[in-house]
Amino acid sequence: MADTHQEWLRKMEEQSRAKQASFMDGIAKKLGRPRLAKAPEHPFRGAPDFWNAFEWTPEERIERFSDNWRSVGGHVARLSDMNAVRDFIAGKAKEMGARYVVRQNEAELAELGLEEALPEAAVSVWNTDPDTYWKARSAEADFGVVMADYAAAYTGSVAVLSSKDKGRSVSLLPTVLMIVIPVDRLRTRLGEVLVEFDRAGRENLPAGIHFISGPSRSSDIENDLTIGVHGPGVVYALLVG
Amino acid sequence: MSAKTMPNTVKKRAELALNDDFLRKAVKFTTERLRNGKKNASAEHGNWDEWRERGRQIRLHTIAHLDYYLNMFVDNARANGVHVHFADTGADAVRIALEIAKNKQAKTVVKSKSMVSEELHLNHALEGIGVEAIETDLGEYIIQLAGETPSHIVIPAIHKNRYQIADLLSEVAGEKLEADTTVLAGFVRKKLRENFLEADIGMTGCNFAIAETGSMVLFENEGNARMVTTLPKTQITLMGMERIIPSFQDLEVMATLLPRSATGQKLTMYMSGITGPRREADADGPDEMHIIIVDNGRSLQLGDPEFQELLNCIRCGACLNACPVYRHIGGHAYGGTYSGPIGAVLTPALNKNVAEWDDIANASSLCGACYEACPVKIPLHEMLIYLRRRKVEKGHGNKLEGAGMKGFAVLMGNAKRFRAALKMGQIGQKLVVRDGGIRAKIGPLKGWNSYRVLPSLPKSTFRQRFATLDQEIRQGLQEMSPEIRGRMEAALKKREREGGGGHHG
Repeated sequence: MADTHQEWLRKMEEQSRAKQASFMDGIAKKLGRPRLAKAPEHPFRGAPDFWNAFEWTPEERIERFSDNWRSVGGHVARLSDMNAVRDFIAGKAKEMGARYVVRQNEAELAELGLEEALPEAAVSVWNTDPDTYWKARSAEADFGVVMADYAAAYTGSVAVLSSKDKGRSVSLLPTVLMIVIPVDRLRTRLGEVLVEFDRAGRENLPAGIHFISGPSRSSDIENDLTIGVHGPGVVYALLVG
Repeated sequence: MSAKTMPNTVKKRAELALNDDFLRKAVKFTTERLRNGKKNASAEHGNWDEWRERGRQIRLHTIAHLDYYLNMFVDNARANGVHVHFADTGADAVRIALEIAKNKQAKTVVKSKSMVSEELHLNHALEGIGVEAIETDLGEYIIQLAGETPSHIVIPAIHKNRYQIADLLSEVAGEKLEADTTVLAGFVRKKLRENFLEADIGMTGCNFAIAETGSMVLFENEGNARMVTTLPKTQITLMGMERIIPSFQDLEVMATLLPRSATGQKLTMYMSGITGPRREADADGPDEMHIIIVDNGRSLQLGDPEFQELLNCIRCGACLNACPVYRHIGGHAYGGTYSGPIGAVLTPALNKNVAEWDDIANASSLCGACYEACPVKIPLHEMLIYLRRRKVEKGHGNKLEGAGMKGFAVLMGNAKRFRAALKMGQIGQKLVVRDGGIRAKIGPLKGWNSYRVLPSLPKSTFRQRFATLDQEIRQGLQEMSPEIRGRMEAALKKREREGGGGHHG
């Protein structure tokens, strides 16, 4: 089966490559010119200039991010250091009776020592054991704990990037999501974060880049806002520093 | 209402909608909420027209060089490990998707919202080969259970009330569910969780595709698109060939325009950029990723000066919410996958069958509210006129209307004839005028008088009264009060003294 599937994929690939040229030629023909071989001039790249000059002070960023996050039903805590983060998460876990916690495999989170701080909960670390079905482990988790890679104050958004140590499931499947945001990762505009991916280039991008701006929500039933439809319904932004 | 039993003219479909009181109220309420949300969000953001113009420029530029950018996207997506396929027609796209499903021996496909998939009627095709297709967007799930089609591009189940929804979901649950939003949404969450974890294939649409990195971008609020791209082993993305933007920097402009225009949000709760299948060491994300690039009539707009800008559309639904006609008749009356002003233009444009869809172009007041609302400034109201013109040029015009227009031209072309006709009208109407209006539903007046009253012709026409009016005005000027006259004369003298005619001379 595996061989025949690979064989089929190869066949489809061949067909697709053959088709690619005629597909693009067809577009050029309809546009009434030969195929473009060179990059066209691109004068309007990204946001207008006045916007790119716009920046808030660090304190303003924290304030605006928090306002935005709260306005969509998220929770915010401003914490002085990682010890305070540990205490906060431990306190919430106790309060809500969290029994299963899953966290990303990151140095900052390892240093928190959640395992010791949460003696009543089973804390697992993403992708540290090849025999565990990690998607299901995240789905059963009460808490997911992740680090933010970037954040943007203007839209109140956090960006999390995937890797072997950072599962996409950890920020998606648990009931409660805790996002730790070191304040030096908080920018003003979304564009300040997005431009990093252009700079990094294709080869260096992770498979999943996810911007999260609050709890999962829907207004599909009679315009009535429902929180936590598929993703986490309770989302904490923990601003540190 | 299922697509099969739908009447074939927009007028009849609209009558059905107008009879459904709940639908009309729900559509009105939702569209107003969304429209106000957009107004507030765009006003709060500021410089909205500059952002719209920038959005338009980026879309214009990409479409004008689509062969270059699409090719670049395809090369980069392949380099990321994606299997890219090209589909000239909807049938091609369906064939490819089914072939993938068969090769993966798939039993279940979980889907996040995709308008392209609606366009292809893919669910039906999947069922045909024994594959269960499950819509996972809450609204889409509801209308899938009801066997219906979306009536709004952003809120597909806008036409269903909570009791109808409770009935549908109770049937799935096998027990009576309370008609409470939280209960209903909670049931769907639990039910679909199992499906996400067990499905063989995840299927998505594509909001934007980034040429320089080969990434595909999804905007959503529920998290179901993230589920669909994270949990199943195989991912299939259906992408309209025009979804391209050059870079992530350009995405900032689209991310500024799309959520604000669609729902008034600063950003949707989730915005995901997916760049290829999972990396080898990753423990989630699909092993295998396919992108099917769909033409299905889109390329027919390329090089057409009147309709090329249609490809700039970012599917926000703002034109639906702004449209006075949509607000009254709802989405199903449009009869196609896409409704509202964009649907009225896009449906005949994609199908190139002006004749069959012509009546939708007439379901518009040409007020231009759609253009005002459009975040990338597509002149939809002008396109509706082009469509009407093409319909007449191709000989699909209404014969009676054509004859009427000719008659009107004959009358209006000659003052004597016009005067004579009015005279006849003034005499003739005496038979039908009651209380200053005509209510008789006769001849060409039938349509109008079914809902309104035609005012009678006045006893004397404007032209007959013109001589008197003219006299009155001239006399009025002569009788100007001495005070005003004095001021004007002084001003005149002053100007003469200061020499030259001033700036206005």
